[in-house]
Amino acid sequence: MTLPARRLPKDPRALEDLLRTGQVRRAPALSPRAPRPLATGIEKLDAALGGGLARGQLHEIVAPPGAGGTALLHAALAAATRAGELCALIDPADAFDPRRGGIDLRRLLWARPLDPVQALRAAEIALEARFALVALDLAGSAPKSARPRGVIEVVRFEKKLPSPGASPWARLARRAEKHGGALLVLARAAQAGTFASVTIELERGPTLWDGPPGAPGRLLRGVRAIGAVSRHKRMPPSGPLPFHLPLEAP
Amino acid sequence: MPRIACLWVPDLPLCAAVRAEPRLAGAPLAVAQAGDLGGRAHVLGATPLAEGVESGQTLAEARAVCPALVHRQASPERERAAAQAALEAAATVSPRCEEAAPGLVYLDADGLSRLFGDDRGVARALVAAAERVGLRAAVGVAAGKSVALLAARAAAPDLTFEPTPQGIGGGAFRVVAPEEQAAFLSGLPLLAIDLPDELQQTLRRFGLHTLGEVSRLPPGPLAARLGPEGAVLWRLAKGHDGSALAPRPQPVRFEEGEELEWDAQSIEPLLFLWKALLDRLTQRLRARGLMARELLLRLRLADASWDDRAVDLAAPSREVAPLLQLLRLLVEGRPPAAGVTAVRLCAMPVPEVLDQLPLFGPRGASPVQLATAVARLSALVGPERVGQAVAPDRWTPFAAEVARFAPPPPPGVPDEAPAAQLELVARALRPPRTAEVRCDHAGRPLLVIGEGALGGRVVASAGPWRTVAEWWTDAPVALDSYDLEVAGGLLLRASPARPHASRGAAGPVPGGRPGRDAGAAAVARAVRIGFRGGKKTQGRPIGGH
Repeated sequence: MTLPARRLPKDPRALEDLLRTGQVRRAPALSPRAPRPLATGIEKLDAALGGGLARGQLHEIVAPPGAGGTALLHAALAAATRAGELCALIDPADAFDPRRGGIDLRRLLWARPLDPVQALRAAEIALEARFALVALDLAGSAPKSARPRGVIEVVRFEKKLPSPGASPWARLARRAEKHGGALLVLARAAQAGTFASVTIELERGPTLWDGPPGAPGRLLRGVRAIGAVSRHKRMPPSGPLPFHLPLEAP
Repeated sequence: MPRIACLWVPDLPLCAAVRAEPRLAGAPLAVAQAGDLGGRAHVLGATPLAEGVESGQTLAEARAVCPALVHRQASPERERAAAQAALEAAATVSPRCEEAAPGLVYLDADGLSRLFGDDRGVARALVAAAERVGLRAAVGVAAGKSVALLAARAAAPDLTFEPTPQGIGGGAFRVVAPEEQAAFLSGLPLLAIDLPDELQQTLRRFGLHTLGEVSRLPPGPLAARLGPEGAVLWRLAKGHDGSALAPRPQPVRFEEGEELEWDAQSIEPLLFLWKALLDRLTQRLRARGLMARELLLRLRLADASWDDRAVDLAAPSREVAPLLQLLRLLVEGRPPAAGVTAVRLCAMPVPEVLDQLPLFGPRGASPVQLATAVARLSALVGPERVGQAVAPDRWTPFAAEVARFAPPPPPGVPDEAPAAQLELVARALRPPRTAEVRCDHAGRPLLVIGEGALGGRVVASAGPWRTVAEWWTDAPVALDSYDLEVAGGLLLRASPARPHASRGAAGPVPGGRPGRDAGAAAVARAVRIGFRGGKKTQGRPIGGH
């Protein structure tokens, strides 16, 4: 309902009450427009994310090996670069293969830090430079495996390795929010905790082979995976999202 | 009538020293001759705070007059950089400049009225431009080069000494209008003109003390008595300037240099020096609307040789911190063979990128932000590890090269992302890891013994797939590949490391299965993981996570 200004209460307190109760709202044209999210190109995932990756937010993909985490990261980069956005890929594991199609490499800055500490700093620099999407691939730095029973660990007194700091994720989330870039982190285990506004979890499904085991001409066809948006600050968690990852897209 | 402006930097050694160390502007400073810091070195210039110190005194005399005197050695590198800065300051006002001597620049002041107003506006702009690069200049504007220089010298007594963050300010100017040129020249004393001592004495004996007195003499007899110099002097006194402006193209290099009073053996003193040089260099670049595309570092070593290095920047920049970090990485990676006695830093300039961002398209990084970010990332991880990923034009699995990051301008209207489907993506292992694969009697892989997460029991496999490529070159490739799924879900594409190795227990059989000839305990060693299939195989890497 639109009211002429003369009918609005003259008392500022009464106006505040109306605003608080929702009886009066600011005109949409005057309110700041929400920036368009960055679509990943995966329709069901975009629907679960509310349109795509929100700018100014930290997103996290938690996926075991072979579950499609890297594929999802690349799909987001491909969609964003094809839409004309500038993206940065921080790749401390040096695992990116530029031969793979889909990504407009001219709009992708590829940085290969030497360790995760440098990777976090590089992501911060990329966010400060207002890249639309900064992809931080930490899947190469595997989490510590549990020590088998009966194994005695020899402790050596060596120089302490540089640590990324107490809360690098808080800093990165702040940088993303301040400079309006979407930060997408791929990791094997959850890293950012509550600083991630969105967490996408992927689980590995069965591998698809063609032909009986040992037979000549047996082919790997792809894998199946199940994904879900397990955490979203503005939306409810999604249901299971089945994915089929073929070796080559049809 | 043409208008010529003259920008003159008096006391160039002193200005260069203060420009290099602006904090010295507030100290009683004297600059002495280079090469001798003993008491016999002559003073070339001193700040007003050094009371009683004059040019020509020895350092010992100067110290006796002013005990708190701080002295610096004159540095040709610094003076050269200061002279270049003066030339660039003039070039920001007029593109037609001529450097007559270090610190003395003539420029064409015609046609500048729409930019700066009248001649006084041009002179003010020149004084301000010089101050922006840390120099105190006297400016003269007149109808010819000689008169403009005399006007600048006439303005020199009005110079003040004002320390600025960049160096010294407090310039002055004198404009000689066409109608007052005769009056200006007639009142000038002959001592204000650079004449040989012998000629000065002769003129004094003739009773001539001003240019006006010279101009009233007949030119023929004057030339007969004083020679060609007399004729030149008469023409100057009349305001007839025979020398035309000869503008020269601007140098494409921006240089700053400094000499050390001792040999620097470590990186720390050099860092201090580079920081100051970069500050001045970027200041000059900023004044011209330029950015550094490449940095050239020249180090003069203790054995009098030069060590030249180049920093090819990933993107144009004029941010001091990343440039300094790049220089540090460059020298730490390959230290010079001897101590460093002098440093020269040159920047190859390119115009500042000023592309307009689209109205409706994606609002991303501006070109300057982008260039700075690339430079900062280069400084952080090394320039060879930042840029645009490029796949080389040859069959080499997972080969990647890095090119300069130069993104095209964003589209005017953003494109809608087309619907896509997830597909398996390979993760490269660079360099390829080596693992051991154990096989059963039939040659089927059973177990991968590898480093870290790469090992495990093989739950499914396919292969081998023979790939033959690059046969048209001198280095043909022929290798077999296996698709392996190990327990835990990891998918690998593995290839024998030495496809052409001789048969035996240690090597796989080309075209066959690993270790088929080696019996029950067959072992195919040195499996390279991370290669992808070639044209004759499935053609798609696996191992996607």
